Amino acid sequence: MHTLKIENLTASVENKTILKDFNIEIKSGEIHAIMGPNGTGKSTLSKVIMGSSNYKIEKGKILFDDKELNDLPTDERARLGLFLGYQMPLEIEGVSNSDFLRTAMRSKNEEFKLYDFIKKINSTVDQLNMDRQMIHRGINEGFSGGERKKNEILQMYMLEPNTIILDEIDSGLDVDSLRIVGENVMKYYKENKPAILLITHYQRLLDYIKPDFVHIMKDGHIVKTGDKELVKEIEEYGYDDEKLGTKVVEEN
Amino acid sequence: MNKIILENDKIIEENLDSSIKYDIFTNDTFGIASLTLEITNDTDLEINYNFKDKTKLETMIIVNKDVNLRLFEKINGEYAKLRTKYYLKENSNVKTSKFNNIKEIKEYTIINLDEENASIEYNLKTISEKEEVYDILTYHNASNTISNINPNGVNIKDGKLKFNVSSFVPNKIVKCDAGQNNKIINLTNNECIINPNLYIDEYDVTANHSAWIGSFNSDELFYLESRGINKKEATKLLIKGFLTNKLEIEETEKENIKNIIDEYWR
Repeated sequence: MHTLKIENLTASVENKTILKDFNIEIKSGEIHAIMGPNGTGKSTLSKVIMGSSNYKIEKGKILFDDKELNDLPTDERARLGLFLGYQMPLEIEGVSNSDFLRTAMRSKNEEFKLYDFIKKINSTVDQLNMDRQMIHRGINEGFSGGERKKNEILQMYMLEPNTIILDEIDSGLDVDSLRIVGENVMKYYKENKPAILLITHYQRLLDYIKPDFVHIMKDGHIVKTGDKELVKEIEEYGYDDEKLGTKVVEEN
Repeated sequence: MNKIILENDKIIEENLDSSIKYDIFTNDTFGIASLTLEITNDTDLEINYNFKDKTKLETMIIVNKDVNLRLFEKINGEYAKLRTKYYLKENSNVKTSKFNNIKEIKEYTIINLDEENASIEYNLKTISEKEEVYDILTYHNASNTISNINPNGVNIKDGKLKFNVSSFVPNKIVKCDAGQNNKIINLTNNECIINPNLYIDEYDVTANHSAWIGSFNSDELFYLESRGINKKEATKLLIKGFLTNKLEIEETEKENIKNIIDEYWR
């Protein structure tokens, strides 16, 4: 059982505060969805949790199993079991998916075995309906948007994280790719019971990945929490403060 | 594959089929050896240069009409001053993959696209740890010729790396494509220089050039680190990718290059 806990987190980029007193607690086996309008800090949250040096933590704590992560390097966070599925996965020319994943898995597990790696990557590539040749291509080199997202899910399967943050993993996916990605995230969830933090704009992903908690994020923090019924309200009203009851009354 | 191994300015081993004619002689007055290669049929050629002593060498590569050459050059050693000239005839195509692992080098390369539809893709990779200067001049001497010049280097230790890359298209030579993509990853505080020049005297030409000197993109490092790879290993992965990308060589050769990189970044 693992717990990712964020306490009163305030973070900024280039002197602009993005996250403001953000709080959340996610345990193994729980799926949390964060929804909210553009520019409210959702992607920033995911990168701050992973330790991007582009952001500065002004105050607050990121705790993983009561261990403070604030100053922990990104690679060490990943080796604890945190995984970020990117909204826009980068293309890295020349570094093959195979070399990349082998290095990542060796970093995590000193008893890495090449035969097991090949067996697992081939079966996972097949499961995700990807081309096996992609293993030998550069990371996301020449990949379509859908292939890039599937590649994120492939990495998730290979690295077996216990805490997963998926930042708009549904963006840029066609109907079939969305189904494959959604079903495979749920398959991993059922087999491994990780903690999942899902950042999304759309209800359609939640047809496949069923959240236990739905949070609305605005202006850098969570303004309302509910269950999947809240998604229906968002679908109906958008992010209208009056109708959702999320209007913040400024204190004098 | 056809193969030539040189030690300083002497051929110590060669295994060539009939598609390659060669000649080598030394001008004793100037102390410069000259190697001439004529490519008469489609072929692959590997040239290994081992410069144990200070060496001056001129190489002339003539590629005949309708011939495709895939050339892999490896340069190792201490110091060399090289002058290489390519002469490409009608409809010929050359793909050069070059990996330099030498302490100090001055290399002057002239590419002559002499007849119509001649084309070259020239990929240079180097690890620069002392002083390296490359002048690469491409002359589009005929219409419908294509050049794609990609010098890439990683600068380390006491390295000072300089690329002077120029492409020439004179007036009335039309429908040429002249491209340059120059990149230096500078891992030192030493000065590195790229001079990307396009000398185009004709309107009906496609030409582009780019030049980058800097370190690796921080987003790329973050992406790799977010998969549990520490910064040193992530940097090494990016260097391996950068120095093997686009090289049209066997996988075993790529592994050899990666092993050399491992030696530098233990």
